[in-house]
Amino acid sequence: MTVTKPAVILLWLLPSAMLIAAPWEFDKAIDVSGFAGGDGNFFHHLDSSGRRNIAVSGRHLAIAWEDDRSGTPRIYLGHKPATEAGFGRETRISGDGEAYEPSLAALGDGRFAVAWEEDGHIRLRLVAIGESPVLGPVETIDSGPSTQVSLTADGEKVIAVWSRRSGRYGRIQAARLRVDDDMRLEPVIGCAVDAAPPADEQLYPTAVLINDRLLVIWEDRRPKHTIIMAAIESKGQACRFSDPQRISEKPEGRNLPYGSGHGVSRAAVGRFGDQGVFAVWADKRNFRDGYDIWGARFIPSENRFGSNEKVQDDFGGLAKQRHATIAGHGDGSLIVAWDDEREGDTDIVMSWYQAGEWSEDWLLPVASGEGQQSSPSILLDPRGDLHICWVERAQTGGATQLKYAFGRNLEAK
Amino acid sequence: MIIDSLQHQAGSALPSAAKARLCLLCLASLLLLPATSGADAPEGYPFLSFDQAMAQSQRESKPLFVYFGRYGCGYCEKTNREAFIDPSVRERYTANYALAYVDAESGRRIRLHSGERITERELGTRYRALVTPVFTFLTPDGEPIYRMIGVQRIEDLIEADEKIQATLSKAVQ
Repeated sequence: MTVTKPAVILLWLLPSAMLIAAPWEFDKAIDVSGFAGGDGNFFHHLDSSGRRNIAVSGRHLAIAWEDDRSGTPRIYLGHKPATEAGFGRETRISGDGEAYEPSLAALGDGRFAVAWEEDGHIRLRLVAIGESPVLGPVETIDSGPSTQVSLTADGEKVIAVWSRRSGRYGRIQAARLRVDDDMRLEPVIGCAVDAAPPADEQLYPTAVLINDRLLVIWEDRRPKHTIIMAAIESKGQACRFSDPQRISEKPEGRNLPYGSGHGVSRAAVGRFGDQGVFAVWADKRNFRDGYDIWGARFIPSENRFGSNEKVQDDFGGLAKQRHATIAGHGDGSLIVAWDDEREGDTDIVMSWYQAGEWSEDWLLPVASGEGQQSSPSILLDPRGDLHICWVERAQTGGATQLKYAFGRNLEAK
Repeated sequence: MIIDSLQHQAGSALPSAAKARLCLLCLASLLLLPATSGADAPEGYPFLSFDQAMAQSQRESKPLFVYFGRYGCGYCEKTNREAFIDPSVRERYTANYALAYVDAESGRRIRLHSGERITERELGTRYRALVTPVFTFLTPDGEPIYRMIGVQRIEDLIEADEKIQATLSKAVQ
């Protein structure tokens, strides 16, 4: 359905979209970190490539973030039993260098893989949460200056994708990793995802496994503007990727003032149902009003992504949206959350697939209202309960807090 | 494309040596062209990253001029080509401001005066660079003074500079 701008303005005047019924009931938000030392002048970041900062393994929930409480940005892991209300004392994960953008993936039995950038290289370690956290050794998995790592895991398989500097440009790399008895994560096989040398920047990758085939998506600037691209491994052939395909479509219409093309940024991808995969990103095809949240579904039988879909509703058409994060479930549930300024301040807004369409947008009650709530990361646990973490602050530039909320699935059987 | 077109026009009337010379000439012309629509900062200006320019602004007590662009931004390229190319604009902006270029899609990290680390993309959001280009004049403390959105002409940039300089003169008196 196409809605004209005056119609959008009229829609905006109607009651908020938060009146729709959501299938989760949220507990009160809680602090993830109890640290209150130093001068209080430090800042939390939840900004992994693909927005993978929260995970559940067995009975344990974990959240990975970066903050600079010591004057140097470092990586920390907060954890709690999934059913309990409070987080314990966080564990420092990174070393003494400047560390950024941690990505988190769950293995079995309360174990998590954490990857991050430290001093310009990709580091990675395993953490086992039991009575107290046990840390595996830190490994370096790149062979040159690298950034923007994103992890995915399936059972005991862990895969990292990242952007490695290759001459003038970043180039997307992938590595399959093996966990050994000493809690080491060691690369089994690694490669560049696009076999051709980069013609421009390849940035911010993320990935999922589909029947043991790795599907990687990333930002690519080869057409002299940013597009989202994807490549998938051949069946049974690790590191043999298809030719990259563009998945963010060029808008229809002639003579649009996009220059080389419109902007897109920061893709996330999630699995749902049996073999469903959906990618989301911020998209500036409506160039007058900033980014909107768009996405596309992967079509496994054709090895390609389908037509682009606008994920957010038209109430948000004139407001800024960014930081899209996605979570799916084997029962077919699929949820996207993002930062949204339609109500003035920054809030967390969500939409979910229902009856084959995206729901109306929903302002998450525990992450909206006064102040700013931004940078969400979400996951659905095996019961279909929704877990979300985000960064909260009273005003722009002010001190930050890291928040978490649990959403009970009201439709779980 | 140009080579194809010229070869087609030249047809078979040209001997092959002449065709080859023509092709080389075309290729040389192409190589001399600027990269298409990269929409980076305009050439010939001392644009810095935001944090470096902010430091310069504070050190030299002059306002900050922030160019929020985007890779592939057509209106940015047009403004670069048609307005920033002007020598008087270059002279005024180079002399009167600390110049910052921000790629509003970039993950490049910058550290603000407050100590907060953000990306250029986050900075664009913070200064409401919803579209590109946006040109924002800031005090050395980062407070917005004036902003211009979209394609600018030579006279727009000169008029904006005159307004800012007149305001500064009044403030000094």
